[in-house]
Amino acid sequence: MHLILNSFGFGLVTASVLALAAVGVTLQFGVTNYVNFAYGEYLTLGAYLSWILNVQLHVDFWLAAVGGAVATGVGAVVISEFVLKPFVRRGARLLFLLIVTLGMSLILANIFQILWGTDFRKFDIPNQQVFSVGPLIFTPNQVIIMAIGLGAMLAIHWLLKYTKLGKAMRAMSDNLNLARVGGVDTDRVTLWTWFISGCLAGLAGVMLALSAGGFQPSFGEEFLFVIFAAVIVGGVGQPYGAMLGALTIGSVTEMSAAVLNSALKSDVAFLVLIVMILIRPQGLIPTQGKA
Amino acid sequence: MTRGILEVEGLSHAFGGVRAVAGCAFSLDAGRVGALIGPNGAGKSTVVNLLAGALPLQQGRIVFDGGDISRWPMYRIARRGLIRTFQLSREFGGLSVLENMLVPPPDQPGERLRNVLFRPSLGRREDRRHVSKALDVLNTFGLYVLRDQYARNLSGGEKRLLELARAVMAEPKLLVLDEPMAGVNPALVERLCEHILRLRESGITLLLVEHNLRVVDRICDQVIVMAYGRTLAIGQMAELRNDPEVVKAYLGGSVEA
Amino acid sequence: MNDIVYYLATMAVLFCIYNILTLGLNIQFGYTGILDFAYITFLAAGAYFAGVSALPPAAGTDQEYILGLGWPFPLTLALGAIVAGVLGIAVGGTILSRWNLRSDYLGIVTVAFATICYDLVGNLTPLFNGWFGLRGIPQPLNRLLNLSPNDYTLFFLGVCVVIMLALWFVAHRIYHSALGRTMRAIREDVDVAATFGKDTVKVRMLAMGIGCVYAGIAGGLLIEFIGGIAPDSWTTAETFIVWAAMIIGGQGNNLGAAVGTLIVTVVFIEGTRFLPPVPGHPLLIAAARNIVIGILLIVTLRFHPQGLVPERRARFPRGLHMPGAQMPASSLSNNSGAGR
Repeated sequence: MHLILNSFGFGLVTASVLALAAVGVTLQFGVTNYVNFAYGEYLTLGAYLSWILNVQLHVDFWLAAVGGAVATGVGAVVISEFVLKPFVRRGARLLFLLIVTLGMSLILANIFQILWGTDFRKFDIPNQQVFSVGPLIFTPNQVIIMAIGLGAMLAIHWLLKYTKLGKAMRAMSDNLNLARVGGVDTDRVTLWTWFISGCLAGLAGVMLALSAGGFQPSFGEEFLFVIFAAVIVGGVGQPYGAMLGALTIGSVTEMSAAVLNSALKSDVAFLVLIVMILIRPQGLIPTQGKA
Repeated sequence: MTRGILEVEGLSHAFGGVRAVAGCAFSLDAGRVGALIGPNGAGKSTVVNLLAGALPLQQGRIVFDGGDISRWPMYRIARRGLIRTFQLSREFGGLSVLENMLVPPPDQPGERLRNVLFRPSLGRREDRRHVSKALDVLNTFGLYVLRDQYARNLSGGEKRLLELARAVMAEPKLLVLDEPMAGVNPALVERLCEHILRLRESGITLLLVEHNLRVVDRICDQVIVMAYGRTLAIGQMAELRNDPEVVKAYLGGSVEA
Repeated sequence: MNDIVYYLATMAVLFCIYNILTLGLNIQFGYTGILDFAYITFLAAGAYFAGVSALPPAAGTDQEYILGLGWPFPLTLALGAIVAGVLGIAVGGTILSRWNLRSDYLGIVTVAFATICYDLVGNLTPLFNGWFGLRGIPQPLNRLLNLSPNDYTLFFLGVCVVIMLALWFVAHRIYHSALGRTMRAIREDVDVAATFGKDTVKVRMLAMGIGCVYAGIAGGLLIEFIGGIAPDSWTTAETFIVWAAMIIGGQGNNLGAAVGTLIVTVVFIEGTRFLPPVPGHPLLIAAARNIVIGILLIVTLRFHPQGLVPERRARFPRGLHMPGAQMPASSLSNNSGAGR
């Protein structure tokens, strides 16, 4: 029982990171209407850029995290403009776009390997003591991660509900043609969506690396499908669903690790993913037109 | 009462909360050219999709050629002899015109893997027969010269003709044409009418969903009027023109082409 | 001189094996339009089952694995092929059963499945020796023949060439048959194919099964040649490389598959394997070639998506004339030539 509760606590931390990444995916998918298989590499990129700032340039960790996130956002925009947009503009088949993003994933993963090798990297941040909150145990950093996750969710909520950009994003997600006809500058909104999605990915990457005690070049790619699981469970294109999905998947995977071989905990998420897609692809909170 | 080749009873279908068809019933005699007409939103396309098995039957019964096809999957209905075409031409773009024509014939031995691997001559013989017929039909429709073109490269009008020619290759007993004249120029309309009448002469029963009432008047001898999801009236164009309910259904205007 | 012959023979064996792999994917995707991002898993199935049926029982060796039948060569290959085919049908009937899902979901589902398999095989060591993989698979028939390594490579090359040509011939036959036509019709527009009476589910399952059998055969030959296999040889990156070969070479046709295999797998993968490693960067060449393949694929999709050898329409035998029809002057040359 104690183990399960511990895992639940850890699940909350994972869920916070997952939520960041899942919302990034769902916002981007909603607006662009295709999946980005290279998203996992964006997490890795965020972690590496933050690491460079933190360890090599001796920037304070949290500042480095922000820096890494923003830089990843810029990277996402660059890739969208120069690699993906030419395909979208010519009305390429969805399948080809997917293969292109898969190709980008392979290319990025190997570039990271060339630039930074396969060593396990850690951040320059002091070790911490755990403390308890009732039956759950946390380190202060983990609490900060959860706070960042929560804060980011509130920021996204505010963005979507009260800003012009957010409303435009929702409009494009619901019905692209109608949004275009209604005067939305789809190119600009797409650009900003990629930036936000990239920032969230980068931030999630740093947070994930922090919570795991370090990272390797493959860690983003390995986490990608757990992110997809959270997105699908919550309903593709539904940011609030993504948050719900993150909580679900985060708890389920961590708690299953208490029972199964912990190396297989991601596979639990993959199984949930497959079952959800087959049975209820629109997720727990359906959006029209995406499933 | 003589049984028609197609008997539709109590057809009803709703999409979520929207009832598209509410109690449609009619019967079509063999050898006729029937028409399904009605204002937009009357439920005609839904009925066609239900007939072809593209939508699951929620309520009602469809009897085709003496057999109850109400719950049958699409491909089984087609094998029974009920073939439909589409409003927007759906040619197999990446296949040549001739190959498009060779897909529909039913029961091709060359489709069974065992034959492909061990008795290829069976398939080849059948192919030659079908190619002969296909070239014949293509010639009738004036498409012979395009037979080796990728179907996606055809013009709109040529795709229309291909849609009809291809459906003929399926050896249908009943051919359901979904708005064959939509967006077609008048010269082509006339040619299509001739083709349809020729098909009737060869023993095929036809059912057209059509907005072009002049065409309906010209070639159809059994007209079914639908409105608000149900059958309003059945008869010949001449009498329907004077039916007040039919006239009202077309928004109070006169029933002109 | 001997070394060059040996080197070329090894390349040729690998070409045959990877060509079979690409041909199989071409039947699934190029002919029938099935999206299978888990394809390499079926190669693994074929390889593992060929391996564990060829190896002696595990007890007493330093590996852990199931079965251990000690069967001779052709049987082991057959088992691998059958298992791969059955697995393919199972996947087709379950994971891919919602054929009308959009491509991204199909992609996600198949990669998720492949990743689960990869994790299970790697972690559940008693199955196939986990992350270490199988090794020590005996060379087919060499107990009888007792050839030197170089001569054996030539012998095995002969075996592979025969099998590859046979499978190429089967794929060719299928393409030019009514079955192939139906598959391509399904690829173009599955609903219209059903409207014309085609049992699209059955045909798709058939395509899935056949393609997976090809992958299984390729896997069986690979493990018998190299002597072993481990999970890191069949990750999603490897599936991607087969897709790259198929698309760069030209999807939908078997000549394109061969060209693509030649360029991508043989020239790039195997050819660069023998370049001297750059000091200080042991993984540089491997990473660089993956990057180049990725770039090549993206560039191909952008500028020449039909690939190097575009799919050509099948032509019909000579002598098919249209009595009484109006034939344009050039039409007599249109009816010539058999299919490719």
